[in-house]
Amino acid sequence: MKFSSLKTMPRNVIRDTVKSIERNNLMSVASVLSVIAALIILGIFLILTMNVQEVTQDVESKLELKVFLEAEYTELQKTKVEKALNDSKLIETVDFESSQEALDNFTVSLDDYAPLLSGYNSENNPMPASFIIRVKDPEDLEAVQTLAMSFNENGVEYVRYGQEYVEALITFNRFTNTLSIVVLIVLSLISIFIIYNTIKLTVFARRKEIGIMKYVGATNGYIRAPFILEGTFLGLIGAIVAFLIIRIAYYYILGLIGGNTFLPVDASLASPSVVMGKLAIFFLIYGGFIGAVGSIFAIRKFLDV
Amino acid sequence: MIEFKNVTKGYEKNNSDALKDVSLFIDKGEFVFLVGRSGAGKSTFIKLLLREIEATKGSIYINNYNVANLSKKEIPFLRRKMGIVFQDFRLLENKSVYENVAYAMEIIGKSEKQIRKRVPLALDMVGLAHRINHYPHELSGGEQQRVVIARAIINNPTILICDEPTGNLDPETSYEIICILQEINRRGTTVVVVTHDREIVDNMQKRVLTLEDGILKVDDATGRYGYEV
Repeated sequence: MKFSSLKTMPRNVIRDTVKSIERNNLMSVASVLSVIAALIILGIFLILTMNVQEVTQDVESKLELKVFLEAEYTELQKTKVEKALNDSKLIETVDFESSQEALDNFTVSLDDYAPLLSGYNSENNPMPASFIIRVKDPEDLEAVQTLAMSFNENGVEYVRYGQEYVEALITFNRFTNTLSIVVLIVLSLISIFIIYNTIKLTVFARRKEIGIMKYVGATNGYIRAPFILEGTFLGLIGAIVAFLIIRIAYYYILGLIGGNTFLPVDASLASPSVVMGKLAIFFLIYGGFIGAVGSIFAIRKFLDV
Repeated sequence: MIEFKNVTKGYEKNNSDALKDVSLFIDKGEFVFLVGRSGAGKSTFIKLLLREIEATKGSIYINNYNVANLSKKEIPFLRRKMGIVFQDFRLLENKSVYENVAYAMEIIGKSEKQIRKRVPLALDMVGLAHRINHYPHELSGGEQQRVVIARAIINNPTILICDEPTGNLDPETSYEIICILQEINRRGTTVVVVTHDREIVDNMQKRVLTLEDGILKVDDATGRYGYEV
């Protein structure tokens, strides 16, 4: 290609694209609407996933495992347990809480009801000493529990963490992730198919022109460009409109529930601005991508002259 | 320059070959008629030249390039060396005469300045300067064919291929079109005219190639229509 063609080509291409969208405005509107519908559904799932992930991470970061020592543990037993825990690769931090510290902390946490504990002192302290453990990955909680329980009868009394709760949370997180991926794939295929059909109509309407272009010596890239641009453009328009709708609806719903997340745990939702930022970037890339892919498929067989 | 060396073209669907062992040489600057009945292989000949299809056997050279060696990406550049005139014109209805001709220059990336300079010259050459802002549906068949010729020569092709250029035109208009083609030929472009028009072939006294059932039957240097109807 000569150098001069690089200068004039974009202008011609953009002109042809705009003309084509004008000519097929009904189909263009239909495909933009389809993209909007697909992206709104997708957006709902993505927001759900992002929030579930946020809540899960929030809860996970607060998860700890408590290894309670027997009332009459020896210093040797304590050292052995501590060493085993510190050596484990699964564990992030290990903190020791003596029975006196446990009582003090409990007293502080009771606040106004602290006098209830006034009868207890270091002589008759009922609180056991414990190791407070944070794991690197909550999925390893069970393994750490098994490790700690191997010292049962050797200084460890019992181990406690919110077992069922953690498992349910992890399962739910996996479920929403999988669901989002499935929805993403299905809706992508549908959107690509719809754009494919729109562009195919455009290509069909312009097949004569394409034939002439080929005989006059236009390169395939030159012929393809306006169609890909058109598809990308339709995808982007759909993405922008879908994003605006979702953004308005999301903030409206957040306003309605007013910070009450109805969650059974102490965890916050993902920051709306972060969610919307991620969604905007995703929608733009995704909208343009499905538009381009649909167009490439649509024009492929018409180019074979 | 066009050279066919023992070219055979068979289509998968048919058993008989569309072209059988055709060898011919058309020199730079020649004016050649290609005649033959329907199904004699004329369309196959044109398609082979444009590299729309590839020869089954033999080799084809255009301006000393073996077209079989061209990659898909190079085909457009081969076609830029050739101008094509169709029987059914193939003009873009929504573009004016000027735009139709300019389009062929835009496609290969000529600048706006070059386009503005060259298009009126080409239209003047085919005698359509006064119709420059009309649309194809406002023109007669002969005028439309002139636009097509202007479009075909706008990029200075070395070879002009005309597929039944007068097929849809009355004798008088046909004659005018052939005169334009002759003028183009006089300026150095090789012209190949595929036609049924016996009268024109006989009048022009040019070289005539006659295809019959895929075989090059006659290659007559001072042409007579090569087969009896």
